Amino acid sequence: MVVKKRVALELGQGTALRSGDYTRAAVRAVKDALWHNSLNMPQAFGATKEAMIIDVEIAVQQPAAVDTDEVAAVFPYGSVSVTARKGGLDIPKPDGSGATLVALAAVVVSFMVEASA
Amino acid sequence: MTGAATDDMHRLILEIGMGNDLYGEDYTKAALRAVQDALHHSSLTLFRSLDLDHGLMQVRVTIGVERPEQVDCDAVAASLPRGQASVQAVAGGMNVVDADSGTTTVVASAAIEAFYPMDRVPWRVVETRAP
Repeated sequence: MVVKKRVALELGQGTALRSGDYTRAAVRAVKDALWHNSLNMPQAFGATKEAMIIDVEIAVQQPAAVDTDEVAAVFPYGSVSVTARKGGLDIPKPDGSGATLVALAAVVVSFMVEASA
Repeated sequence: MTGAATDDMHRLILEIGMGNDLYGEDYTKAALRAVQDALHHSSLTLFRSLDLDHGLMQVRVTIGVERPEQVDCDAVAASLPRGQASVQAVAGGMNVVDADSGTTTVVASAAIEAFYPMDRVPWRVVETRAP
């Protein structure tokens, strides 16, 4: 039986200090998650990198403002899906001109696997 | 060593972290913080999902600091939660000197490599797209 199994979780945080751009904060969070680690699991399992199923969750205060296609474009390979939900953190600026944005990213890597004989 | 090492050890992940000791010039403290930073950007969830044995995992830690002989590698090894750990410190990292105040900030890099005997994994990957 072929089942989907999680093999790694990568976590990151990104900010947009002045632009107010939630997508930019989300992209930085994803890059923070990815670039702290080098995953060798496809090679270890004798699989291709394309076999990786990558489910990305972004948390920001205004999830509807995140361009999930742009976030997905960060990934060079794998079968990628991106969702955004409410979370993260907005810090209002002291002069009242908008907020500094913090985005969190969770990158879940899975494979379709079956028990080996 | 729990469990015999095999020839089929494969690296699962390389985790990279940075840590510092701002004022104390404590190279071990900077190294411990770098290790924590490296560890906590990811999780090897396959141990749980595929029911693998942490005791078979080999963990190789390399610390880069300007004074590697000052790092207590045993203390760093003791901070690792799982696996058979080995720690070495090498010349690297970065010391940032403020000549005006006479303080030195110690920055450490940590590389954590996790290896597993893949012939002990009772699963194989099926190359299909996600359903």
